Amino acid sequence: MSSILSINTLSKTFQTGDRSITVLQDITFDIAENTSISIVGPSGSGKTTLLGLCAGLDQPTSGSIKMLDIELGELNEDERAYIRNQHVGFVFQNFQLLPTLTALENVMIPLEIRGSKNIAYKAEELLDRVGLADRKDHYPSQLSGGEQQRVAIARAFISDPKILFADEPTGNLDEETAEIITDILFSINKELGTTLVLVTHNLQLAEHTGRILKLKGGKIVEDKAISV
Amino acid sequence: MGQKLEIDKKSQSVIKAGWIWKLAYKDARKNFGRLFLFISSVIIGIAALVAIDSFNRNLQNDINDQSKELLGADLEIDSRRTIFDSTFMVSLDSLDVEISSDARFASMVYFPKNSGTRLIQARAIEGGFPYYGTIEMVEGSDIASFRNGKAVLIDESLAIQYDIQVKDSLKLGKGTFQISGVVTAFPGTTSINADIQPTVYLPYERLEETGLIQYGSRVNYHKYLKVRDGELEEVKEFLDPLLEEYNYRMDDVEERKEDFGRGFGNLYKFFNLLSFVALILGCIGVASSVYIYVREKKYAAAVLRCMGASGWQIFFVFFIQILTIGIIGSILGVIHGILIQYVLPIVVSDFIPVDVAPQISWISAFKGLGLGLIISTLFSVLPLTNIRFIAPLIILRETVEKTGRKSKFKYFIFALIVFFPWIFSVNQTDSFANGSMFFGSLVLVFALLWLVAKGLIWVVQRFFPSRSSFIWRQSLSNLFRPNNQTVILVIVIGLGAFLLSTLALIQNSLLGQVEFAGKGERSNTVLFDIQPYQKDEVLQLTKDFELPVQQFVPIVTTRIKAVRDSTVAQIQEDTTSSIRSWALTREYRVTYRDSLIESEKILEGVFQSEAVDDSIFISVSDNLKEGLNLQLNDEIIWNVQGVEVKTYVGSFREVDWQRVQTNFMVVFPEGVLENAPQFFVLITRIDDKNVSARFQQELVRNFPNVSAIDLTLILETVDQVFDKIGFVIRFMALFSVLTGLFVLSGAVINSKYARLKENVLLRTLGALQKQLLQMTIIEYSYLGLFAGFTGSMLALIASWALSIFFFEILFFPDFISLAVIWISVTFLTVFVGWINTKSILNKSPLEVLRKEV
Repeated sequence: MSSILSINTLSKTFQTGDRSITVLQDITFDIAENTSISIVGPSGSGKTTLLGLCAGLDQPTSGSIKMLDIELGELNEDERAYIRNQHVGFVFQNFQLLPTLTALENVMIPLEIRGSKNIAYKAEELLDRVGLADRKDHYPSQLSGGEQQRVAIARAFISDPKILFADEPTGNLDEETAEIITDILFSINKELGTTLVLVTHNLQLAEHTGRILKLKGGKIVEDKAISV
Repeated sequence: MGQKLEIDKKSQSVIKAGWIWKLAYKDARKNFGRLFLFISSVIIGIAALVAIDSFNRNLQNDINDQSKELLGADLEIDSRRTIFDSTFMVSLDSLDVEISSDARFASMVYFPKNSGTRLIQARAIEGGFPYYGTIEMVEGSDIASFRNGKAVLIDESLAIQYDIQVKDSLKLGKGTFQISGVVTAFPGTTSINADIQPTVYLPYERLEETGLIQYGSRVNYHKYLKVRDGELEEVKEFLDPLLEEYNYRMDDVEERKEDFGRGFGNLYKFFNLLSFVALILGCIGVASSVYIYVREKKYAAAVLRCMGASGWQIFFVFFIQILTIGIIGSILGVIHGILIQYVLPIVVSDFIPVDVAPQISWISAFKGLGLGLIISTLFSVLPLTNIRFIAPLIILRETVEKTGRKSKFKYFIFALIVFFPWIFSVNQTDSFANGSMFFGSLVLVFALLWLVAKGLIWVVQRFFPSRSSFIWRQSLSNLFRPNNQTVILVIVIGLGAFLLSTLALIQNSLLGQVEFAGKGERSNTVLFDIQPYQKDEVLQLTKDFELPVQQFVPIVTTRIKAVRDSTVAQIQEDTTSSIRSWALTREYRVTYRDSLIESEKILEGVFQSEAVDDSIFISVSDNLKEGLNLQLNDEIIWNVQGVEVKTYVGSFREVDWQRVQTNFMVVFPEGVLENAPQFFVLITRIDDKNVSARFQQELVRNFPNVSAIDLTLILETVDQVFDKIGFVIRFMALFSVLTGLFVLSGAVINSKYARLKENVLLRTLGALQKQLLQMTIIEYSYLGLFAGFTGSMLALIASWALSIFFFEILFFPDFISLAVIWISVTFLTVFVGWINTKSILNKSPLEVLRKEV
């Protein structure tokens, strides 16, 4: 199986005043296509930083990140944005829907940016898939947290991404809603054959993926496969 | 080696990407409330600009169109108070042009119908003058009787005041005349002139009947020429050497237009200042609302970035919104400006000698539209540029390292922003120096306000009252915490206060110029042209009415023959001479006395009370000292009615010309001019209107040549006139004030979103409504007080400089207005901040978060 994401000796250091803090150090791993992986670890272990770097939202201090065999470090911000639009989906802990757009409009946004036509039908289908067909004209402020996250999942999958990054997707939800969201996320992911990169500190959620990468103090301390 | 990225350029297009336009629209739907204040600033700013500019343009156009009516002829020749020389007249008659004459002088008129008397201007006209424009009269008037010498015309104000109708009669000097018409408008005069000193128009051939033209009478003689098309320059060339020879003055339409422009110069200047202020306030309004709007949009921008939108695409989503609203605001502003412009001519019609037709000035409308677009674009692009570089990572974590990226585009816009107000101010003031001064002051004020804001942050941090109560600590720390708005609010509030205070102070100084004396114990009645043989009788009459003789002054008319060994002609020929022409050639009215009066103060030298032998030391006013470039002991030879009198400059005096009394540029000592031909002026005060009327009636019956000016009437009329000018000034200033208030409110209202999360969090943690309101009041009071105070103090300096160097008027500091603006600005800031917080507190924290965040 070929790699969709290839990380090699990745480091990230932040400068705060006179001090520099190394958040990630010598990280190397590959993610194969159509697989799912969880990045787990305690707070401050560098999970979110790693996710940001893998998704091309930030630049490493050293090392390389190859997505679909493209070296992200050689791209400028607009080029990385293009890669994200073509191949990447996101689900965030805080949902991050655009408050001024309706649920349907939020779902359509990635394809609108891509320049695709006749996308409303696909967006409606996805909203139906996440159980929100009757809420498509509601604004985020009129939806509950769970509903907002379902809209975010629909938005993440509308562009048929090759890789989906999910940052604590159930972190802001109650147990019951979290279960529903987990089911939706994994079932659509399976249907579409998307590579899933999940950042969480919830081991129960992490066990839904085929592989767990454990971080501690900015280093990989464990990389284990899970039999699902 | 990795694979090379190939980007589909079409998907990165800004113009072709339809989603950008759609998203701009969809996003704006929910944001219209936030953009309302932005659009309001544009509307009011542009409305003020268009109204002022249109009015100025229409006025200029109407002056051009009706310019010949400003004079009533192609050329006017003024003999400077002497009768036209017969040789000159022969030369003038040799020209193949139409010629009319008039003689103007002040006199008392008497209406037998109701025994009314009043000082008027008598204007004896000969010939077909006015050649341009028409004499407008009330119904039933008959111009033919006037033209053929049978009757006189009077101004409407006189007819109304004394209830005079056509066919009534009047007595002017010794002559009695029938009135054949009541004039409502005479080419070249304004109704203000008619109110202050109404005119009686009489046929020239009947002037002698009045018996009023005597020695010493102040009579102005004029000739009016109507020249055939295309021959004006030729006629002027022929007349120029003659006028120089006889020291006559010529006025043509162009000069009259210039005079008129100068007369209203300060009003124009003030209007231009208002336009400038309105525009700058509009710019501040746009920049501050967009700055805060963009800050609110950074998460939306980051989400779009995560979804794959390019920096420029995100920039254009918000730019389209701002530009569209800018266009709508500009169009609405232009429409409002045009509507206001229809009101202005009605208000100002009384003191402008042309009919200002309320028409749409397309130039002003397009200028307003263009400026609206420039402001909306330019001042929104700078804050919007930041959105291009929003790091998508902020979605995952709040603090992101700055990239340190320098945008050339940002520098380019910054340069344009600096350039635009500069060019505009130079254009508005018609002067590079003045425009640059305006602009430079604004930059300086901006910089000082920035320093004050930074200083405030530093002081609060440095001397932070760690042991004070939670409310004090929390509200003060709001001033320096991350995401604080201290700098932007201090600059916006400070600039707003600065501009409003400057306007108020300038307005006050302009209005201060027209304050007249005439209150308390000051004189209010002046008797002119008392001949020496009437002296004792007039004094006796005044005593009979038990009136105080406050001044009884002899006046001698004279001209300068030579200054410091050079004759007037020699000085005129000398191109290097710094002596001013007006000072050299004018007719001087001088007096003689042995002491200074209340309104005078010696600056240099000694005042000579009596001439000793041949050494006559005169006292010269400071303005004449400048005009003749004099030093103490300089020799001046005077031509006193044909007799040469050699004098020396003995002293220089400062004279308070504003006082209602006879003031002189030159005072002779006693013992020199007593035997020269002269007349007298008597100044008194009459408190009772009835006594004043009886005194004037008695005076006009016994001494028809003596003119009595009742200053009370004039002062009242002048007050009314300046009330109207004041109204126009205040009316137009109101727009800038409104723009300022909108801009201030906008900035403070927008700041609500920055405090929203914190307030909701504090509320969730159990903070009481009272505590949150107290914190808001303390924070905004600080901002309002500091910014308002800095703005007001800077305004004091700016308005002083503007008064002295730009308007060239005396500066009247008005500390009350300054304090009122300072307190109002602080109150407004606190009030809007309080309303912001109140609107959050009246709802549950969850409701607020869902709605607003």
